[in-house]
Amino acid sequence: MSLSSPRQSAAILAIGTLLFASAGISGDAEAPMFTVNGFGTFGVVHSDVDNADFSISSERPTGAGYTRESSFKVDSLIAVQLNAAFTPKASAVLQAMSEQNYDGTFRPHLEWASFKYQFTPEFSVQIGRSTLPLFQLSDSRKVGLTFPWVRAPADLYHLTSAASLDGITINYRMHLGQWTHSLQLLAGRNDLKLPDSGGSAKTRKLWMASNTAELGSLTVRIVAADSEVTTPTANQLWDAFRQFGPQGVAIANRYELKQNRISYLGVGASYDPGQWFVATEWGGLFSHSIVGRRIGWYASGGYRFGRLTPYLTFSGGDANNLSDPGLDVATLPSYLVGPATGLNATLNSILSRKPVERTVSIGTRWDVRPNIAFKMQFDHTNIGAGSSGVLINVRPGFVLGGSFNLVSAAIHFVY
Amino acid sequence: MEFARPIIVALQISLGITAAVAHADVVAVVSDTSAVMSLNKEQVVAIFLGKSAHFPNGTQAVPIDQADSTAARTEFYARFAGKSPAQLRAHWSKIIFTGRGRPPRVVANSSEIKKLLLQNPNAIGYIEQSAVDSSVRVVLSQ
Repeated sequence: MSLSSPRQSAAILAIGTLLFASAGISGDAEAPMFTVNGFGTFGVVHSDVDNADFSISSERPTGAGYTRESSFKVDSLIAVQLNAAFTPKASAVLQAMSEQNYDGTFRPHLEWASFKYQFTPEFSVQIGRSTLPLFQLSDSRKVGLTFPWVRAPADLYHLTSAASLDGITINYRMHLGQWTHSLQLLAGRNDLKLPDSGGSAKTRKLWMASNTAELGSLTVRIVAADSEVTTPTANQLWDAFRQFGPQGVAIANRYELKQNRISYLGVGASYDPGQWFVATEWGGLFSHSIVGRRIGWYASGGYRFGRLTPYLTFSGGDANNLSDPGLDVATLPSYLVGPATGLNATLNSILSRKPVERTVSIGTRWDVRPNIAFKMQFDHTNIGAGSSGVLINVRPGFVLGGSFNLVSAAIHFVY
Repeated sequence: MEFARPIIVALQISLGITAAVAHADVVAVVSDTSAVMSLNKEQVVAIFLGKSAHFPNGTQAVPIDQADSTAARTEFYARFAGKSPAQLRAHWSKIIFTGRGRPPRVVANSSEIKKLLLQNPNAIGYIEQSAVDSSVRVVLSQ
């Protein structure tokens, strides 16, 4: 399943439009119809992992470690956004981004393309491709200038790479007492391309509801989502299991991800009075499939000494069912023992990819200018027994469990 | 220790701990014709950070910012919102890059703010205490 050429053309067209529009912007119009903004990160991360890669997404082919000890391809990205305000109520955004894609290229893609109608200052509807804000920082997880760390904590943000939604978003804001509540209701679908010619994970019947409550410097968020997901990953494996009769069929049915429900539940809170901040978030994916139950969380705090913000973060990930006895080879005729053992090994290798780990991160942000920040960060991760953690591109020599370190530096900017 | 002075100054600049130079008292103002009499800090901050589109009396609120480089702007956000220029930029970046909103309209200085308030009774801005005159009403000063 290669990249469909219409979508590629759309992305190129979008970039062309943005560049064309930016050339035509006049400086001092009262309320310009078109404005252009952009953001980017130039980041390098060094990892001491030998037989696997660290990446911010499991849907990428390479990262830092096995492929290259130091990689520019994990955090670096650049994006440009065209904002159109047709009337005070009708607006649109078009955002094109270049970052490492599922196929290893940096070919630009259309990140957002949506039309918004603001019925009242408190009520709006957005249609098109926009953010799928499962996480507290989903909205701006690619805009490094907006958060203290080099990257959103991987232990939680690794749970899903599905960051966009093709559909409808309804926003409603209300004031109750001293609290401001921002309610969001989303419905739509998502297609996520997988590396290594793995086709696409298709998410359908996707809906999400969230409420963000703010009181002064305090923000509390709760989110719930549900979806029906089909992925071609490991289809051949399940077909092979099914040839082993009822016990193989049972295994295939238990793990196959074919129109299976995946639910998400998340809570988060942050307190940022200005001089310092604390932030915490917890999220869980739940599914009766190979996905199983996966939890991620972090707790972080920092203090602002003028333009320097040192911070400390603890984070972790947990998952159930990291292994499976598989087919009972004792009941099989001898000529099938070999193939059955191979299938069992493959199944267990997939199950061990579920991340179980604990991470401590220290780093500092330096606000070079209001729109430029430089950060350095050190991460130490202990991987749980029987798991390969959030690492991707796991090679045969990799030993489950163990630990790894990351050293990262990044420059973020917006314009 | 005279030789260390340039280093200390450089360090202060890089850390941004230069004490508030020319500490100007900034106040939030509306037009003299506005029905809004006074606001608290939280209400003003909510309007300027895009969290509220209305005054407490229900009328629409249109915030007007001063230019990035002005002392009045830096002072206003530091004192009332507890935000540095970098934190303010981060705040708006979150909103802009999801198409959820746009920062307030920007004008050059306090006299431009006063001109706009004359034209728009829903507008709210901030100016130096010394620039206050009979055309505006101070709604927040502490």
